[in-house]
Amino acid sequence: MLFNQAIEIDESLNDDVMRLSLSGERVRYSLRLKPADVAAAKKSSGLKLPAKIGGTSIAAGQTILCLGPQEWLIVALPKSREKLAGTMAKLSADYICSAVEVSHRNLQFTVTGPGAARALNAACPLDLSVDAFPVGKGTRTIFEGAPIVLWRTAEHEFTVEVWRSFAPYLRDFLAKTAKDRHMA
Amino acid sequence: MSAFRKPGRGAVNTAVSVNFTFDGKKYTGVKGDTLASALIANGVHLMGRSFKYHRPRGPVGAGSEEPNALVVVDRGTGRESVNLRATSVEIFDGMVARSQNSFPNLKFDIGAFNNTFSLFFPAGFYNKTFMWPKSFWDKVYEPFIRNMAGLGPAPTAVDPDSYASSYGHCEVLIVGGGPAGIAAALQAAKSGERVILVDERVKIGGSLIDAPNCEIDGKPAADWLAAAVKTLGKAANVTVMNRTTAIGYYHDNFVALNQRLTDHIANPKDGAPREETHRIRAGKVILAQGAIERPLVFNGNDVPGVMLAGAGQTFLNRYGVAVGHEVAVFTSHDSAYQAAFDLADANIRIPVIIDVRDDIRADLRAEAERRGIDIAAGQVVSKTSGKLRITGLEIYDPQSGAKRTVKCDALLMSGGWTPSLHLWSHSKGGIKWDADMAAYVPDVANENAVCAGACNGDFGIAAALTGGNKAAGGRKSYSVTERDFGTGVTLDSLPNYIKDTKQKAFVDFQNDVTEKDIKLAVREGFKSIEHVKRYTTNGMATDQGKTSNLNALQIASKAVDKPVEKVGLTTFRPPYTPTTFAALIGHCEGKLFDVKRVTPIDPWARERGAVYEPVGNWMRARYFPQEGEDMHAAVRRECVATRESLGIFDASTLGKIEVVGPDAAKFMNLIYSNPWSSLKVGGCRYGLMLNEAGFIYDDGVVGRMAEDRFHVTTTTGGAPRVFRHMEDYLQTEFTDLDVWLTSATEQWSVIALNGPNARKLIEPFVDGIDLSPESFGHMQVRTGKICGVETRLFRVSFSGELGFEINVPSHFGRAVWETLFEAGQPYDITPYGTETMHVLRAEKGFIIVGQDTDGTVTPHDAGLSWAVSKKKKDFVGRRSLKRSDLVAQGRKQLVGLLPEDDSVLLEEGAQIVADPNQALPMTMLGHVTSSYYSDALGRPIAMALVADGFNLNDQTLYVPMPGKTHAVKVTGTAFYDPKGERLNVV
Repeated sequence: MLFNQAIEIDESLNDDVMRLSLSGERVRYSLRLKPADVAAAKKSSGLKLPAKIGGTSIAAGQTILCLGPQEWLIVALPKSREKLAGTMAKLSADYICSAVEVSHRNLQFTVTGPGAARALNAACPLDLSVDAFPVGKGTRTIFEGAPIVLWRTAEHEFTVEVWRSFAPYLRDFLAKTAKDRHMA
Repeated sequence: MSAFRKPGRGAVNTAVSVNFTFDGKKYTGVKGDTLASALIANGVHLMGRSFKYHRPRGPVGAGSEEPNALVVVDRGTGRESVNLRATSVEIFDGMVARSQNSFPNLKFDIGAFNNTFSLFFPAGFYNKTFMWPKSFWDKVYEPFIRNMAGLGPAPTAVDPDSYASSYGHCEVLIVGGGPAGIAAALQAAKSGERVILVDERVKIGGSLIDAPNCEIDGKPAADWLAAAVKTLGKAANVTVMNRTTAIGYYHDNFVALNQRLTDHIANPKDGAPREETHRIRAGKVILAQGAIERPLVFNGNDVPGVMLAGAGQTFLNRYGVAVGHEVAVFTSHDSAYQAAFDLADANIRIPVIIDVRDDIRADLRAEAERRGIDIAAGQVVSKTSGKLRITGLEIYDPQSGAKRTVKCDALLMSGGWTPSLHLWSHSKGGIKWDADMAAYVPDVANENAVCAGACNGDFGIAAALTGGNKAAGGRKSYSVTERDFGTGVTLDSLPNYIKDTKQKAFVDFQNDVTEKDIKLAVREGFKSIEHVKRYTTNGMATDQGKTSNLNALQIASKAVDKPVEKVGLTTFRPPYTPTTFAALIGHCEGKLFDVKRVTPIDPWARERGAVYEPVGNWMRARYFPQEGEDMHAAVRRECVATRESLGIFDASTLGKIEVVGPDAAKFMNLIYSNPWSSLKVGGCRYGLMLNEAGFIYDDGVVGRMAEDRFHVTTTTGGAPRVFRHMEDYLQTEFTDLDVWLTSATEQWSVIALNGPNARKLIEPFVDGIDLSPESFGHMQVRTGKICGVETRLFRVSFSGELGFEINVPSHFGRAVWETLFEAGQPYDITPYGTETMHVLRAEKGFIIVGQDTDGTVTPHDAGLSWAVSKKKKDFVGRRSLKRSDLVAQGRKQLVGLLPEDDSVLLEEGAQIVADPNQALPMTMLGHVTSSYYSDALGRPIAMALVADGFNLNDQTLYVPMPGKTHAVKVTGTAFYDPKGERLNVV
């Protein structure tokens, strides 16, 4: 079956100041655990679950964000699908927890370039300066009308996860900021 | 160069001419002029007509506080901006500006007959006069008042410009780029923290430009300013934003800034954003907004050419324009002398300074003498002459009774200064009355904010600089050589020999409120300033009373004989100055107005020419018209095809929530009215959700995927609130449960197949699920594969036909849909939209929450008592269901209606009565909630909420509709296949 994220990105969103790119297929889980089980679950699963809300663990092929109290979003490359499914099944068997696959719920974009933070700030109310939102910080937030998950992977590089149906809105919003920039 | 231009003065570039038109007449100004300064340089003071009396008016101020000189700037279709203050509008080459509120022209305005009869237009005139006869209000009075009262024509064309909005953050936000703001910025810059300095004008400088005759740290003010601008420009951590107004100050130091980007440019790039709204979260806010000069309230104070002393000084020093050749001064405050001296030093004749005070400061007296300026101490202006421009004035000495006239072509007035508390008050900062200054000043802060300079009541350049520096944490004391700013007096009322009723002493210039209007309001019993304001409309114009509020307060306070602070102060509200709606909208117009959510299958439907309807934020295909079909025809075809063979429907928008945890069933029992413990894994159940009040809140089918896992579906529009409702209870009431909620709406694309051939179609594509009716019955769910991808396959039906809802991961949704659609051709598979879905479910009597319920319908009312557990000890809404009003007889209940005339389609929302011949107003029994033509039944059907409906079965009721009243028979709601046999087709 054709894997179809059904979104195109206009060339105007691709310049030296800001570039929006769509990531390919990802495997995603929303994981919830009881506070008392976190340490043991981390150990037995090998998942590097960040302890603090806003924390991330970014490794090759797998990013884990702590979005809320005992709530993690795991985003991995498709090659870890089986392994991750096994890990989740084992966690579910061993602990009181909730592991829900949400691979197809989101689309993932990267926003890069020296104008990335400014472009995101057109619609995201967070302070995205490096001091306030350093590399490695990630959070659930809003992008004007769209809920998003945002994390920073480099000074000029952000990753945005957005529910599928909100993606065109996010893209169009960023396109408007790019257009304004080109016009100003 | 015109006679009023003063070469060598002002921060304008006289070498660059700027041509523009005002009311069709060509004028030339210079680069840096405002419309007001350019017109005054051309000898023109008359710029507008007042709101109520249509009196000729010229600028009173020189900045954004201007109440009078409101103009239209026309940049072409959709780009007409009205109610702009000529004192803030920067001119550009080719600008087209017009006066407003005048017909046929500014010099002869027909509406001015109001002025002639102004005796008959006192405060409250409209309220008193246009009361009778009542029928005249809509047709005569209101249109007349609206027509007369319009402040500028409302635009009708679409604004073609683009606007922007953004969020920003800083440690220190400084509002106002005068000496206080600049000193604060210089100090704050040293910390390395992010500093934003905003100023509404073209450049920062404030009074250092308007009144530059001082030395700071041994340097002329202009040099000091240039150095400061350079320093701030070089500091990487400082952002200076000109042409930017802080329009509102909200909770937690959240300040809205409106930046004007292109209005000053002759030919902006097409598509360049015109304005940007910056929403700034600041660690600390320093308000350095300055003060606004107060007019004196005297007879004839609104003739063009009468303006604030500080404005006259600004026109000279900032724009190099003399406001007249012979400029008289009328004051109750020392500061006006500075204006007089500045003008005199620019070779403008000052015939007289009239000062209401007897004692004049010796140094001012000496300086006036040195310049040969006559001072009339202890005297007042009793009237002015001139209609379209002041030509002279009468000086009256209340002690001797003597009167004399003086010729002039401009009159500067000063009634003292009012610190600008606007933003401070937005932030809920406290204020206190300063009797010496006769003004309110900041008291205790409510946010991390501080006021500096004149807005804090600290007048003069030295005080502003030192205050600004201190506000930013500095301890610097500036050494400034300046004339002492001085003090003034406030009089409740200026003495005059002319009777009150014969005077026209304006308080609020924009709304034409006079001193006697305020006194009248008090006489008529309005004691609070808030009431006086609303009765007289003082301070209610677009300038929010910037120049009038304090004067009105003084007059009212005297009239009620109470101290000012007991009379109250009206509320300051955002925006600080009038702001375009487009700026408030920012990016969020057109396709960014709101999120339009679409499903993975949407592009396919779009290609097939589907017609859409919005459901919540979703855009859903409503029907798929074929050539020549209207909605009615398309829906009939889709219904028939589905019942006869096979329909395919995109149900992806249904809300989905995964409820997981060992206490999942317990939670479901609490949040839904029906029982869940007995539901086996692999089973589905209709779930009914009530709110705390016992009314139907949402519904949907729920599948039990595992002992500890439920796949919950909700209505499309209800998904966000149902999720919140569940999470709310989980976090606040059922905190002991081990269960978690995850939104899975967009994880799954849902393809609904309905019709007798549904099973035949999917059989070849399904792996790992036995589809036979024996092992996979109605209301069951299985997991397996379809078309090679994972599926949660529900056997459910919202149509009454054999039905499946195929959940597949979203990114495969379209491909699976297309595969099934292709394979369905032998069955004439027919895509259908929400309208057909509505008809099919109505034929079965299935409700739609929000259509057949309205938030006041209980399960029993809707005929859903079966979905309320009798055994469960608790669930949300359970206790409310026992309330006496919810168990009372005669409640509105959901019934079916069959029109006797089967060619009639009842209107949804139509009222229902028992006897169409009863007297008006009739007793209405209820209303039609759903109404469709049913091909399956060969007749129209309807559902309705009717009082005591369950006891009216088979009775005839009546539905009055436009043109005719229709008889209807009351029935049950299960119109079609009431036994449900069609579900079991093999």
